[in-house]
Amino acid sequence: MLKDIIKKEILETITSPKFVFTFLLCAVLILLSVYTGITTYRSEQKEYNAAVALNKKNLESQSSYQALAGLGPKIDKPPHVLSTIASGVSEAVGRVASINIAYDPNLVDSKYESNPVFSVFGALDLTFIVKIVLSLFAILFTYDAIVGEKERGTLKLTLSNRVPRDRLIMGKVIGGYISLLIPLIIPLILSMLILLVYPNVSLTGQDWGRLMLMFLMFFLYLSVFFTLGLLVSARTNKSSTSFLVLLFIWVVFVTIIPKVSILAASQLNPIPSVHEITAKKDAFLQQVQGGAQKKVLDWAKENAPNASKDAKKYQEDFKKFLEDYQNDLTSKIEENNAALERDYPARKTSQERLAINISRISPASALMFSTMSLARTGLDDHEQFLASLRAYKPSFTRWINSRMMKSINFATGEQGKVNLADMPLHKFEPESLSKSLARTLPDFGVMLVLIIIFFAGAYASFLKYDVR
Amino acid sequence: MLETINLTKKYEDGHLAVDHLSFKVEPGEIFCMFGANGAGKTTTINLFLNFIPPTEGTALIEGIDVTKEPLRSKDFVSFVSENVMLYGSFSAYQNLDYFTKLAGKRGLTKVDYARALKSVGLQEDAFNTRSRNYSKGMRQKLGLAIAVIKGAPNILLDEPTSGLDPKSGQEFLNLLIKMRDEGKSVFMSTHDIFRAKLIADRVGFMKKGKLVMLKTRADLEGEDLTELYIQYMEERGA
Repeated sequence: MLKDIIKKEILETITSPKFVFTFLLCAVLILLSVYTGITTYRSEQKEYNAAVALNKKNLESQSSYQALAGLGPKIDKPPHVLSTIASGVSEAVGRVASINIAYDPNLVDSKYESNPVFSVFGALDLTFIVKIVLSLFAILFTYDAIVGEKERGTLKLTLSNRVPRDRLIMGKVIGGYISLLIPLIIPLILSMLILLVYPNVSLTGQDWGRLMLMFLMFFLYLSVFFTLGLLVSARTNKSSTSFLVLLFIWVVFVTIIPKVSILAASQLNPIPSVHEITAKKDAFLQQVQGGAQKKVLDWAKENAPNASKDAKKYQEDFKKFLEDYQNDLTSKIEENNAALERDYPARKTSQERLAINISRISPASALMFSTMSLARTGLDDHEQFLASLRAYKPSFTRWINSRMMKSINFATGEQGKVNLADMPLHKFEPESLSKSLARTLPDFGVMLVLIIIFFAGAYASFLKYDVR
Repeated sequence: MLETINLTKKYEDGHLAVDHLSFKVEPGEIFCMFGANGAGKTTTINLFLNFIPPTEGTALIEGIDVTKEPLRSKDFVSFVSENVMLYGSFSAYQNLDYFTKLAGKRGLTKVDYARALKSVGLQEDAFNTRSRNYSKGMRQKLGLAIAVIKGAPNILLDEPTSGLDPKSGQEFLNLLIKMRDEGKSVFMSTHDIFRAKLIADRVGFMKKGKLVMLKTRADLEGEDLTELYIQYMEERGA
């Protein structure tokens, strides 16, 4: 009997006009989003390779270490292949950072900076389609699953037979869910095939693991709205009421909670603005640079008699003084910056965490955060990359300071040729799959809890449902 | 056989929908129950189908207490409602196939379904048409075909002829007569005095949940059922 109910649910859905419409729209949107995602990734990859080569060339072409220190190496953030599925914050945050003695490295030149209109509409990636379009379809498939049968009189007719209610609701859940997944699974399989065969796009074993977890999250997210639809359908007496209630909950989940959570977090845990911190850093830098000129002149004045006695020793001493002093200044700047930022990153992270945790009440937020983490296009990946740049800066600074001093011939004013052979290189080790998975466990938990609550509610409501 | 013994239904808001109702529908009998809207006719059917629990008393189908053995009792009853829409995207065959399987009948073929559909007078060219395109009469016939193919010895009909055109209404009555002649117990709640008079073996009048009058076909000889109905409704305060 369960099999008959499941079969009927599937048959009834796939022969309905809404299924044809849903299937076609899903197929077009999903394939289009994956295709555009891949082409965007390919062009980003080309841009990245070109930028890396150009940066190397630029560094090599510098005439002196001083010029090199002024320019600094540019570190480009490599694009990630899974941004084709979940672009995350990758388009909003910068893609390149300059490593400079004076300033802390920061990623700039985001896609939104170069074309602000993108930020208005956002990216049409698969996560967006699942979050907005498919969740609406889940509602469309379920808002009248029970109340609609009551209105048509088929529920009474069905239950006038030897049909236990628990079996009927199970049949509706299984059959309805399969019907909902058909428009998703077929385009998803086609999308994976595109990823497999598209030239110069290769996914590692870990990437496939991440992709499968993202798909699992999509299914869980749709299950939340599917079970919610059943619950509301089993608690209302009119399908129009059911649809309106579901639409209201959808708006709250998908748009209101994520936005309100950011506002709530900024009110509950306020932090100073970035501009405030930057202004303080700039003021200190100006103060230090002003004092430096005086200090160098004072040294020259004090040691002037030695210059005529032993010019070579004087030059060596001057070099030593400059190197030590430069290192001292750099340390002071870094100490000041660190003091200014000592609490800032922690407070900023705490505010972000608060906003994320508040918004996780919404399955839409849980979907976004988990897929971003799994695609390595989220805030965490951005922070980790920034941290790797900050860790790289001191080693580059030490190296360039030492090379600058050693290469200058103060007697002639000549500077040695730039040799990049021993220049320290930036390294970024992306987060492993197990760490990303651990990070997304709360999101999986939120989804499962919501599914269990909604399903149990729908099940219990249907057992007592007034079929008259 | 269908039977109620002191069947009572009082809702939580205090409304007494069925008040100590006792009657029997014997095999081979058509029992028509009249009453104004809200008199308790449909509630009685809902109590037979265990859609709502009784406050007091018992409803029996083939001697089975429907509250004690709700699933087993449903093997012995078929139900035809006033305005069943069925599954609009399914054809007559598909609707029939689904409900036949729910009724626990297996191994029936398209030939059996076609026979059942023909027996209720549904045109053959409609067998494969989606039922959303059916007229009300066609849907009622399909609903009756579902009841016919189930082959239960008891039939519950909730105002089945309302909205039917005269021809469809007459065909529907002929089918009920045929079922009665096959020995089935037919309980029909209706406002349709004219049609009920043609087929009823007994009629009952319900008012505020009580059975206020019960008459056999013999009692009704020479009586104007319409007048009687109006008289009862007025006398007892409809």
